[in-house]
Amino acid sequence: MKISGSTQLALPPDRAYEMMQDPEVLAKAMPGCESLELIGPGEYRMKMKMVLASLSGAFEGKVRITDQQPPTSFKLAVEGNGKIGFMKGEGLLKLAPAAEGTDVAYEGDVQVGGTLAAVGQRMIDVTAKLMIKKFFEKLAS
Amino acid sequence: MIPQEFEYAAPQTVDEVLGLLAKGAKPLAGGMSLIPMMKLRLATPEHLADLGRVKDLAYIKEEAGSLRIGAATTHYAVESSALIRSKCPLLAETASQIGDVQVRNRGTIGGSVAHADPAADYPAALQALEAKLVIRGASGERTVAIDEFLVDTFTTSLEPGEIIREVIVPIESDRAGVCYQKVAQKASGFAMVGIAVRIIREGDKLAMVRIGVTGLSNRAYRATHAEKALEGRAGNPAEIEAAAALVTQGVEAIADIHASATYRAHLAVVHAGRAIAKALARAV
Repeated sequence: MKISGSTQLALPPDRAYEMMQDPEVLAKAMPGCESLELIGPGEYRMKMKMVLASLSGAFEGKVRITDQQPPTSFKLAVEGNGKIGFMKGEGLLKLAPAAEGTDVAYEGDVQVGGTLAAVGQRMIDVTAKLMIKKFFEKLAS
Repeated sequence: MIPQEFEYAAPQTVDEVLGLLAKGAKPLAGGMSLIPMMKLRLATPEHLADLGRVKDLAYIKEEAGSLRIGAATTHYAVESSALIRSKCPLLAETASQIGDVQVRNRGTIGGSVAHADPAADYPAALQALEAKLVIRGASGERTVAIDEFLVDTFTTSLEPGEIIREVIVPIESDRAGVCYQKVAQKASGFAMVGIAVRIIREGDKLAMVRIGVTGLSNRAYRATHAEKALEGRAGNPAEIEAAAALVTQGVEAIADIHASATYRAHLAVVHAGRAIAKALARAV
């Protein structure tokens, strides 16, 4: 499933870029992220617990940051496995200066499999959008 | 499939429910969404507090110019209530189109609203009715407008430890025309789009128009642009078509395997037009 959108951050581009590379900031902003630990250059091990309505599931996976072009763009790849399914996503984030901070445009592809996808097709799109929205809200705060 | 082991409690009073919630129990209403998720182990609550045996949580009554519906009232009870059919026909019509008869016999209004499924039927009608919810928590009761309650996909302004106790809807004017129209996803019965309309005509003008939309985006909403385009007008076919085209304004449509975002938005516009025409034809 393709996902794209844009959002604004009230920070100058170089500062916004820096924040999005900071594992501590990322760990706080990613919904349900319990830990993010460095395992290689630009590569982190992630533990997350997704809680949404009555749905809940623990995921373990990796976050990778590549193709870094500070302060204008980078690629973010996230993959996770859990009892209720797996998810895999890759996206390109582009930062551009705006009147009141930075415009962040994202474009990517998300795949979801397992029980979650078999029965939750109807919910994947809205859930992914909600997660992205929460991520940028927390990042901005 | 078989759910993960859990503890089950059947409290008798709302206070007992709140006590169990404070200890981490998850409230079980009709179970029409929660139980299937538990069977698939997508949800694995360890404690359930069943609301089904709580006294005074399932009722329909008229009080102070409004209808008050207990949170544990089933869809079937709403659909078949003579009081609701005569005084809030939009809600009865909406309830009659939820899922199938087995779901309507178990599922409850409070459970549906608290779950906040973006494709649930009730929220469209409750938005059009400007309904209020009475929420009960450890520190007492508060009343919240439906628009403030529905925050996002499966996300409401219900705090941990709180439950919906009652839904309040207005008594409809005898002259109002109402309609709930949906395109159901065939397997689940959920709305790909659902449109709830209320219209009151005064003379040859539309004095009040309310339109609630579900299924199209992350949460049910009131299509205020479309409402404003119709109010004060005569409601001729061209005006209806122009207003219906505005129901998707400012909204990002959902895409899934059943319908693309473009198709869903198109369905919303077409069915808004039909629902408005039908409600208008029913208005006295």
